[in-house]
This record gives sequence, structure tokens and C-alpha cells, in this order.
Amino acid sequence: MVADFNLNSEVKNDCVVISTSGYVNNLGGQKIIDEFNEHHQKGLNNYILNLADSKVVNSIGISFLIEVIEKLNESDGKLVFTNLDPSVDKTFTIMGLFHYAEKADNVDDGIKLLGNK
Amino acid sequence: MIDFEKDNAIVERLSLQVSSFQEGFKILSDSKTLEEIGENFVHLLRGNLLLTDVNLFYKKKEDENWQTLFAPNIKSKEFTEYLKTSEAFSLSYEDDKLYKVYSTLRCVDESYFGLVIGSKIDRSGFNSLDVITLQIFIRLLDNAYQSYISKIKEKNLIFSLNHKVVQLNSLVDTGIEITKLENYTQLLELALERAVALTNASKGVLRILKNDKVIGSLRLPNSINIAEALESPDKIETRVDYRGYSYIVTLLDKESRKGKVPFDTTDEILLMAFARQVHGAVENKQLHKEALENEILKKELSVASSIQKKIIPEKLPSIEGYEIAGINIPSKEVGGDYYDCRILENGKVSLVMADVTGKGVPASLLVSSLSASLHAYLEMNIPLDELAVKLNKLIYASSTSDKFITCFISILDPSTGELDIINAGHNPSLLLKKDKTLSKIEAGGVAFGMFDMGLPFATEKRTIDKGERILMYTDGIPEAMNENDEEYSDERLENFCIDKCFHDAAKFIDEIVADVRSFTKDTPQSDDITALYLIRNK
Repeated sequence: MVADFNLNSEVKNDCVVISTSGYVNNLGGQKIIDEFNEHHQKGLNNYILNLADSKVVNSIGISFLIEVIEKLNESDGKLVFTNLDPSVDKTFTIMGLFHYAEKADNVDDGIKLLGNK
Repeated sequence: MIDFEKDNAIVERLSLQVSSFQEGFKILSDSKTLEEIGENFVHLLRGNLLLTDVNLFYKKKEDENWQTLFAPNIKSKEFTEYLKTSEAFSLSYEDDKLYKVYSTLRCVDESYFGLVIGSKIDRSGFNSLDVITLQIFIRLLDNAYQSYISKIKEKNLIFSLNHKVVQLNSLVDTGIEITKLENYTQLLELALERAVALTNASKGVLRILKNDKVIGSLRLPNSINIAEALESPDKIETRVDYRGYSYIVTLLDKESRKGKVPFDTTDEILLMAFARQVHGAVENKQLHKEALENEILKKELSVASSIQKKIIPEKLPSIEGYEIAGINIPSKEVGGDYYDCRILENGKVSLVMADVTGKGVPASLLVSSLSASLHAYLEMNIPLDELAVKLNKLIYASSTSDKFITCFISILDPSTGELDIINAGHNPSLLLKKDKTLSKIEAGGVAFGMFDMGLPFATEKRTIDKGERILMYTDGIPEAMNENDEEYSDERLENFCIDKCFHDAAKFIDEIVADVRSFTKDTPQSDDITALYLIRNK
């Protein structure tokens, strides 16, 4: 079953890779945006959100992700979602997230995608 | 008196500023956040009116405190006390104060902007043109704010509509996905995950009960304490009952960006829809499992039937001076009854009637073992009592404790009519004498495979004279049931044997079967019907 929400982040090739596990809800979404803000304030503009271990996302969690996308749009930054569960992928598609963010199969592909931008 | 000359001059000056107003409105309405609106408005005012100190404040409701939107001078906040919110719009000039202009604007959503303005750069007073320009910019702020509010509403509406599509789509997808899952736990986990996510619940619990006792549970997230979680007043719950099991799904603490909110009717409908899907999936799985089991059983019976067909003789041998006929009608596709008649190398004839406990492949395999070993031993001319001991050992060793075989074996010397008989727990065979008296052959011993204690089997010798007959049968005939749960009975069978002395053995077999059928009528056959009938003609 779904674990408690947790995240870690690392910077790879000027990309911030945020990897999460557990339910992306109000709590999880807040932690993601806090982590994002911390890096964004330092001027980092390329982000990968690795959701390999987050197969359950609710609309409150999505509203935080939209906030991240909006902030990156303002700063000409980019966001790539990776390792999406098919149901999460479909949800993000319907919610329109991929109009302003990209997706990749895995973190390495995501980094390559950001490198080509 | 109207000073037309002065008024015309103001209109002329304002017309020169039209493009500035238009540009200003575009800047304000393009602002993405309230703070950005505030900052842009302050810059526009400073540039257009050549002001030194412009500060903008905001509050959501009349009774709240002013919040700084954009205030280059921190001290300006102290002067918000002069901002009046009693009217929809106010604009006042206070020459004797540090800040000269105070204006408030009530917006469409009942929030307020408060404007505190210092002196002009050239320290001159505010003229009529300044006042009108200021009023126009405040109107532009009002319009830009309305546009900003509309955009937020539109964004929220699109988000909400998209979320409804997600809910609907997920409901359909979940219904399909759970039918593909192999085990119940995965099925229930998926349903709980989807129900929690789509209702924005922060937690979920699924309990499985049997006889009102919880026998299993799932929770999301993993770490929650179920007992504590279920105490939450903010929850919705639904229950599905199926074949003695109850599935209770509880969703807890609906989330919003601003904290907990109550679950609504849509959430309840969604939860019930998921519960119905779980019910349908569990039911389908059970039916599928039963269908598979039936299929396996059918295949097993088919295998058993082919074994049975091979060991029950298609045609009985012709014995000079005798007539013989037999029948086996299994109650299902295959039963545990067996009969045989063979002419041995020494010219004698073996007559065998047996009944194995149970049906299907295990029973037919056991009959097959009996048939093979019996014929091998018979050809070795072993005395029947020794043969019975050997068969008992073999059946005991090759069957489970609940499997045994009742068996009647008779070796006929056709020339003399002498019968060497052993009966291992089987129904007594019936010998109909010439004087129409019936003699039961009960030569004793326990069924084969029941015990392996070296118990002896007693043989018996009888003679069948000319015109006499023997009926060997299994309990499927006397125990055949009618619709009133009454048995055909030994008595009716014995009377039939006495009354119906047909010259034709096959005719006797047909008639006994017909008599059983006329007794049971439409009641399904509960056991195999097997019989072997021997008449001595010469």
C-alpha cells in the first residue's frame, strides 16, 4: 500500500531532481513546492519531478504542481515529470499539465530533455 | 458658473493621455498576481502624476486589517487609519497631513484597495486635472482587479471541470483495471487508492468483516492508526456485503488548500460507485473461479469416463450352456461401479461385480487397478481367499483412507455349474433356484482397502443348475430414490427376480432398469446402476 509522503532532491547537470514517495496530496504538494522554492530562489530553473514511488495523486497535490509550473513559466524555467504511473500520466494529461511541462520515461531521459532545451 | 474655457483645457489635456490610460490598463490587466497589480498601479500613478510617495494597501473584508500590497514607504501604513471603508469609493485631500491623498475603493468581491499618496514631486497642490486623472486610474485599477478575479474564477472552473473529467475517467478505468487483477488484495488496494485520491480524502481505510469480526484491513497511507483514524468526525463510509463477507470503505478528512473541508454529495456518489465496482469485481472473480472449477471437474470426469469405458467390457463372452447380460449406467459422467466376465485359460469363467466409494478420476483409477491385478491373479489360479488377501493389500496400499472397494468375485466351472465365490463387503448376489426360491450369496469379508490387518476372507461354494439364475448388482438398484426419498428396496428387487423369469438375460436387464426408472420417475439418478445376470440353459 501507499507509504507516508517523503522526498529527496539532488542537483544533476544544473537540473534539480526531486524524487518523491507516497501520496501527493495537500501535505505532499506543500513539501514539493517548499523544496522547489528553496532551489528556485537560488536561481535554478530546470526541474525533474520523479514520481516513481508516488502512484496516488489528488487534485490538491496537482494544484501545487501547477503552482510550480506557473512559477517556472515566469522565470523561463522548465519542469519534466518522470517515471509516471499510467493512471497519474492520464490524470496529468486531462488536467492539462503537459501543456506547460514535459514528461520522460526516467530521470536520465528527463535530464537529456532539459539539456536539449 | 461653469468655466467652459477651463473645462475645455482639461478635456484637451486628458485626450492627450488616452493612450497612457489604455497602456496603463493593459499593464494592470496583464498582471498575474495581486501584488503585481499593486506594484504596477503604484508605478503608473507615480509616472503619470509625478508623485513622490504612493502606497497601496488591500484587505479581503471590511473588518480585516489593511495589508501592504506595495508601499515604498513603510511609515505610510500608519496612515491607513485615515482610509474610510464606509463608502464604495472615497477620495479625500488632507493638506495638513504628511500624506495628502487618501482613497478607498470597494471591489466587486467586497474586498478593498486603500491608497495613501504623499506630495507631488514639485510640491505643488493637486489640480483638477490631477484629481480626474487619479480617479480614472483608480477606475482602471477596479477594472483590472475585476479582470484578475474573472481569470482566477475561470482558472478554478477549468481546474474543477478537468477534475470532474478525471473522476469520471478514473471511475471507468478503475472498473476495467480491477477486473484484470489476479488477487483480491490488489483489487481492494486499487479501489481504495482511487477512492481516496478522487475525493481528496487525506486517508482511507478498508475493512473486511466476517460475522461482524474484522478479519483484514487495508489503509492509506500505511502508517495511520486505524482505530484513531476512524474516530475522525469528518468521514464518509459505505458497506458492501457478499457471501457472508462485508467490505467497509471509510474515507477520512477531505482536503483543500486551506485545510479540512466537509465531504460533499459527489464524494458520496463516487465512493458508492467504487464500492459497487468492488462488489461486481469480487462477484465476477468468484463466478469465474467456480466456472474454472466446473471446467476442471468436467475434464476430470471426461478422463475418468474414458478410463471406465476401457475397463468395463463392451461385449460379454459367449459361454456354452449359459446366457449372460450386463449393464452399467453411471449416475454422473462416470461412476465407481465395475463389472466383468472373462473366460480364463483353464476354461473357467470369472464373474466380477464391484463398487468403489466416490466418483471421478480417483474412483476410476482404483477400479482400473483392481481390474488389472484381479485378472493377473485369476490367471495364476490362486485360491480365491488368498487372492482376496492380496487384492486387499494392494487396494489398501494404493488408495486413501476414505477409498475402498466392495467386490463380489465368482469363478464358474461351466461344465458343472459349480461356483467358487468370495464377497468382499458387497451386496449379496441373488441365486434364483428352480423352485423359485431366492438364495442370497453373502460369502463374507470386509471391503478391499478398508483395513490391512490380515483379516481372512471366507469363500463359499454354490452350484447353479439348469434353469437357475444369478443376479449380481450394486447398491444403485435397491437404493435408487424416488421423489419422496423412498428407496427402490431389496424387497422390490427380490420380488422382481422371482416374478420375472425371462428366458433372455438381456431382456431381464432391460426390464429391471425399466422397473427402477418407473419407480424413480423424474428423480435424478443418485448412484450408478450396475447389474450382471447369468442364466444356465443346459
